[in-house]
Amino acid sequence: MKKMKKISLLFSLTLLMGLFFASCDKDDPVEAFAKPNVTVSTEVNDVTYGATEQSVDFSVSYDSKLTATYTATGTGVSVTNSSGSVTGNTVTINYDAGANAGAASITLSVTDTEGQTDDATAVISIAQPEFEVQVTSNISENTTWTSDKVYILSGRITVLSGATLTIEEGTIIKGEAGTGANATALLVARGGKLMAEGNADAPIIFTSVADEILPADIAAGNFESPNLDPDINGLWGGVIILGKAPISASNESGDVSEIQIEGIPTSDQNGLYGGNEPTDNSGVIQYISIRHGGTNIGSGNEINGLSLGGVGSGTVVENIEVVANQDDGIEWFGGTVNVKNVVVWNVGDDGIDTDQSWNGTLDNFIVVAPAGHAFELDGPEGSMAAGHVIQNGTIVATVGERLSEDLINVDDNSIVDLKNLFFTGISEGQKINRVTAAGVTFEGIEFDVTAEELPNHVNGDVPAGVTAGSGTNKADASVFGWTWAGKAGALTGL
Amino acid sequence: MKRLIVIFLLLISIFSQAQQGKVRGTVFDDKTGETLVGVTVLVAGTITGTATDLDGQFTLDLDPGSYELQISYISYQTLNVKDIQVKTGEVTLLENLRLNESTLEIDEVVVTAEVIRTTEAALNTIKRQSAVIMDGISASKIKLIGDNTAVEAAKRVTGVTVEDGKYIYVRGLGDRYSKTTLNNMDIPGLDPDRNSLQMDIFPTNLIDNMLVSKNFTADMPADFTGGMMNVETKDFPEEKIISVSASTSFNPDMHLNSDYLTYPGSSTDFLGFDDGTRVLPERARQPNIPTPISGAPLQETVDFIKSFNPQLAAERVTSPLDYSVSFSLGNQIDLSKRSNSPKLGYILSLSYKSDYKYYKDVVYGEYQRYIDPDRYEMRYATVQNGELGEHNVLVGLLGGVAIKTSLSKIRFMAMRLQNGEKRAGKFSIDNDGQAVGQSGYQATSDNLEYNQRSLTNVLLNGTHISKNSGWEIDWRLSPTLSTSEDPDMRKTAFTNTNGRFSFMAGAGGNPARIWRSLNEMNAMGKLDITKKYQFNNADAKLKFGVSHTYKERDYEILFFDMQFFGGQSWTVADPAIVLNPGNIYPNRPNSIYYQSGNPDPNPNAYKSNVNNTGFYISNEFTPIAKLKTILGLRAENFVQRHTGRDQRFASGDTENGINLDNEIVLEAFDLFPSVNLIYALTEDQNLRASYSKTIARPSFKELSFAQILDPISNRIFNGTLFTYPGWDGNLTETRINNIDLRWELFMERGQIISASAFFKSFDNPIELVRIPEQQTSTEYQPRNVGDGRLFGAELEFRKDLDFIAPQLANFNLNGNITLVESQIDMTEIEFNSRKTYEKNGETIENKRQMAGQSPYVINSGLTYSSSKTGLDAGFFYNVKGSTLSIVGAGLFPDIYIEPFHSLNFSMNKKIGENNNTSIDFKVSNILNSRVESYYQSFNAEKQLYSSMGPGRSYSLGVSFRF
Repeated sequence: MKKMKKISLLFSLTLLMGLFFASCDKDDPVEAFAKPNVTVSTEVNDVTYGATEQSVDFSVSYDSKLTATYTATGTGVSVTNSSGSVTGNTVTINYDAGANAGAASITLSVTDTEGQTDDATAVISIAQPEFEVQVTSNISENTTWTSDKVYILSGRITVLSGATLTIEEGTIIKGEAGTGANATALLVARGGKLMAEGNADAPIIFTSVADEILPADIAAGNFESPNLDPDINGLWGGVIILGKAPISASNESGDVSEIQIEGIPTSDQNGLYGGNEPTDNSGVIQYISIRHGGTNIGSGNEINGLSLGGVGSGTVVENIEVVANQDDGIEWFGGTVNVKNVVVWNVGDDGIDTDQSWNGTLDNFIVVAPAGHAFELDGPEGSMAAGHVIQNGTIVATVGERLSEDLINVDDNSIVDLKNLFFTGISEGQKINRVTAAGVTFEGIEFDVTAEELPNHVNGDVPAGVTAGSGTNKADASVFGWTWAGKAGALTGL
Repeated sequence: MKRLIVIFLLLISIFSQAQQGKVRGTVFDDKTGETLVGVTVLVAGTITGTATDLDGQFTLDLDPGSYELQISYISYQTLNVKDIQVKTGEVTLLENLRLNESTLEIDEVVVTAEVIRTTEAALNTIKRQSAVIMDGISASKIKLIGDNTAVEAAKRVTGVTVEDGKYIYVRGLGDRYSKTTLNNMDIPGLDPDRNSLQMDIFPTNLIDNMLVSKNFTADMPADFTGGMMNVETKDFPEEKIISVSASTSFNPDMHLNSDYLTYPGSSTDFLGFDDGTRVLPERARQPNIPTPISGAPLQETVDFIKSFNPQLAAERVTSPLDYSVSFSLGNQIDLSKRSNSPKLGYILSLSYKSDYKYYKDVVYGEYQRYIDPDRYEMRYATVQNGELGEHNVLVGLLGGVAIKTSLSKIRFMAMRLQNGEKRAGKFSIDNDGQAVGQSGYQATSDNLEYNQRSLTNVLLNGTHISKNSGWEIDWRLSPTLSTSEDPDMRKTAFTNTNGRFSFMAGAGGNPARIWRSLNEMNAMGKLDITKKYQFNNADAKLKFGVSHTYKERDYEILFFDMQFFGGQSWTVADPAIVLNPGNIYPNRPNSIYYQSGNPDPNPNAYKSNVNNTGFYISNEFTPIAKLKTILGLRAENFVQRHTGRDQRFASGDTENGINLDNEIVLEAFDLFPSVNLIYALTEDQNLRASYSKTIARPSFKELSFAQILDPISNRIFNGTLFTYPGWDGNLTETRINNIDLRWELFMERGQIISASAFFKSFDNPIELVRIPEQQTSTEYQPRNVGDGRLFGAELEFRKDLDFIAPQLANFNLNGNITLVESQIDMTEIEFNSRKTYEKNGETIENKRQMAGQSPYVINSGLTYSSSKTGLDAGFFYNVKGSTLSIVGAGLFPDIYIEPFHSLNFSMNKKIGENNNTSIDFKVSNILNSRVESYYQSFNAEKQLYSSMGPGRSYSLGVSFRF
């Protein structure tokens, strides 16, 4: 028992020593000037969208023997007097509301001449502009979006099976920023319908929230983005139409005649496409311009400007423009839909991309300066083998620093008839990658190079249908006057 | 901490009685192998003596000299041990004192102390009489051989395969069906996604024993099937231990190699944790991060971009050698001078380990099959070739204090492990556009990762026995906190387009950074009550008890990728310059900024918890002579809850999306009956038969909405709560029926031969399945597949080679060969999709091998040990047959892990006064095997899924006991 006592004594001793050392760590207080103190009302300052010359008052105190300066930092607002010296007990900070609605704040930090500092934050709420409509839920019943509003996609918005989304001519749709699971997109699921019928005087614009384009601009005939350059991409997702037309996918056993569209996380089942209805109708999509999109959900898995997965021939897709998409311009995954009058400008990957035996025709189109392949044309992936026709097109393979990876890229098993295509702006090294694929035919293909140079742009023997020329057969550019590319002069001379 | 050690050392000196020496021993019942309580130990011809305590242990303080001890107990033969030398200040150990039941002929046995010291049959007896099929290694054997870490010692246990140098598996069943416990408590490993605890952290001089149970009794947790390994730490070291050891290891492929890859991390990386350098910038967590389009002022956006660490490149430096150091301390002290004094035991161990690995030719491949029945060969979709450098730091701290009287024991143990792994890799990626779902590109990537893990575990344990009534109570409480964080994983992949470099989202991807964090809390409590009684003139034991486990996990992944405001222009593909100030927004042309991949709420964050309450009752008795019977029934009530949401909900679709708020995702009340019969054919031969029901439950990660990307291999794991065509999102437990038959023959000096047959049926086994609907990226999901079963045969032996020639008595051959035939009934979807891809000449049945189950496992060792010369050496060989690891079907071929022929040599020599210095020499992976997995398809050449060469390594260690 005696020894137990000894132990507890020793342990207590240790504890005491610990306490002693702990207390030694504290510095003796050096007498100082009073610290500055900043306070602000905790009430939220509500301001209207686009409000300017707003102000908020902070109460400030500091040691009377000293002087003090302040700095103000705005989040979501821009502060007009962001620093200065403190006079009196109130600092008034003036600010303008930023471009985004929602929560914002201003932090005021006061520092006295002794280097002592304090800060406080005022909370500001910028109201939603009246014409903006936040879309947060999937569309499960018939809905119409009107041209007097701007629709903000706050996530992956899906038009569900059985529902029709009608978008009036001249309507603007903007996607919020985000990548991966956070990417925004408009997805039309199998069985859903999109009736987006714009016209040359009032196209429908899909763009980023960063784009300051407003309904008034459309009404005034100004379709280009007022603040974003036509090479800024990846700001949101894109438009994805999925249908029930046949696809040649590899998992065609039994009930797996459907697969997941790229760019949509596998866990969202609205991303499935494919079926047995060749004449399936996903609606009417005409005169739409899709801009600044293409954000990805993982490497090699991204959102095209316009993705058409298993879309049936009952669907109308005409007069489409894709500008500055981070991925492909238009990509077809099987299906039977025909597409007419297309401009693809400054995309980050392929211009025209086809997979899984798309069985339709692309007629009259211009591709300008894609960073990937101008054409990435794949063959069937399942046992169903069908082909497509690509005709009457103009391709600008190089514009300044922007070069396409090659001219035509086909696989051994590709099935495609290429007719009346004119390639211009051809740089060294740009080629047709393969001319031996049995299912690929070339007819009336002209390269804007000399006859001597022509073999340098074909990997293999130059097929009969490929010649040097200056555009006997090409796209009819006159129908693209409504596009941003057209208005910006990117199509001049084509 | 230091001061505490000083105090401890002080205590030791106070209590050591320098003028006397000590005799310590443990007394066992030779037949049952159990310790005997209350045995009288007398110095022959005197009245000096004591009695054994609840651990069967005794201590006598004696003046220096030679003694004879008389050990006696009612109805047992008295054992006289002669020639016990007691030296001043030293402890003389008699670890295996074995009493036999008295017979008419013999009631007294005389042996010398030397004989007692060199037998190591105690463990054998444990096995002979144990209720379950058990293998293991005891402290006395470890000491005899001289292994320094638990992993080394575990190699000597038959039927055990050591993987990755630290994980232990039994009978070739994978991690899902194995379990490791520490002091019989469930504690999560450092890797929270594994059931197994890593074994390289325990110094052997603090281990009392390691036992592997191959079948189930009601007092064990029901969630194991292949085998459960328990590590029991020492509470009362027999003698004072103060030891230090150090070792180093050289791998010619990996060390002193100037190609080794790493990156500047933080100043505390060498301690196994990050000092905050890799922490997520504060603003990055907010929903509206500053970007050129967020409306934030320019300077704020620029500051935000700069708040991320600009290091993106893997850098080459010369890799040092591996090294490790450890210190351990332990003793027991009498708290009074009485002969049956209460005792205080303590252990303390500190260890530090630093390993460098450099894999110079790592391969990851994605392959596909053609649908054409005549095209047999597979084609690649993506192949990545590259190099990987890893630096692994492990710091371990283990301490324990215990107090016992002759009938009660309380112990407290605490453990802290800190592990940091820094990885840097360079890969070249070749994606084939011809493959299904692929766009075709070439890229080079730099990958930087850091994983830090910690584990803090505390155990409070009490054991109380009543001397005469046969009751024993054991209670344990054990909370554990564990974390695993991957701060700032960076992947920077330049896509190469005809010699021009850029970041392409549709190809090699934009540069990305990921933060992952996992926190887990685990609390377990347990009460076991045992009543020994006589039944049918034989010992019988009734056990019953209750346990409760609460586990809680908090998980989050945050993802950011870099975007370019406008075009890009790079003259060289050098990740080191990517985040130079001139490339950051608003500086054109690259104008880099960050975009957030994290919706609010985050679908890649979840919280889960589990409550598992268990009750059991078990009776061990001998209803018919020689037939020992253990009947048991365990009940477990298991409830798992989940808080998380799917992608749809997170993207704003609150109507159709799913959001779970602490909702039950798994709930079951199960009864687990077990019957174990042991029939003693002769004195040294047993026939055993057992039946039991066990369970394998899905993990937190499996029952979640998480989508976890491995940035290096670019493969994605999907939680099972997502539904797909053919998968309803309801993952259930696997229930397993186990039947075992075994014949065993025990010979002296721990030699055994046994043959077993076993059958297991699996109801709803879980396997990792490739998601067929997703063709662009490689995604997997665990799913319940069709029912499965396996039939196995096992041969086990441990035999000295003196039967060949007497000179070979010090050589021992041991091994274990397991053959398993496993079967899974395919689901209709799997069968159909395989049928679609059936090649000409191939016949697809609706059954296949079970994932994770090797068709054969061979573990063997040839050892030499001589306690006289203090030399111990051995060759150890392990191999597992080709094992299906990921279930393919359709376009995607099956993936098999190829046999890894692991041949290792180790040698240990004890030298110096009292053999207190021990020198180790080891050669690992003598055959220079590679760790490889392959895609396999009918009639096609196999293709690499992953390949890494650990290389051959040589290590040298020295340990010194004071």
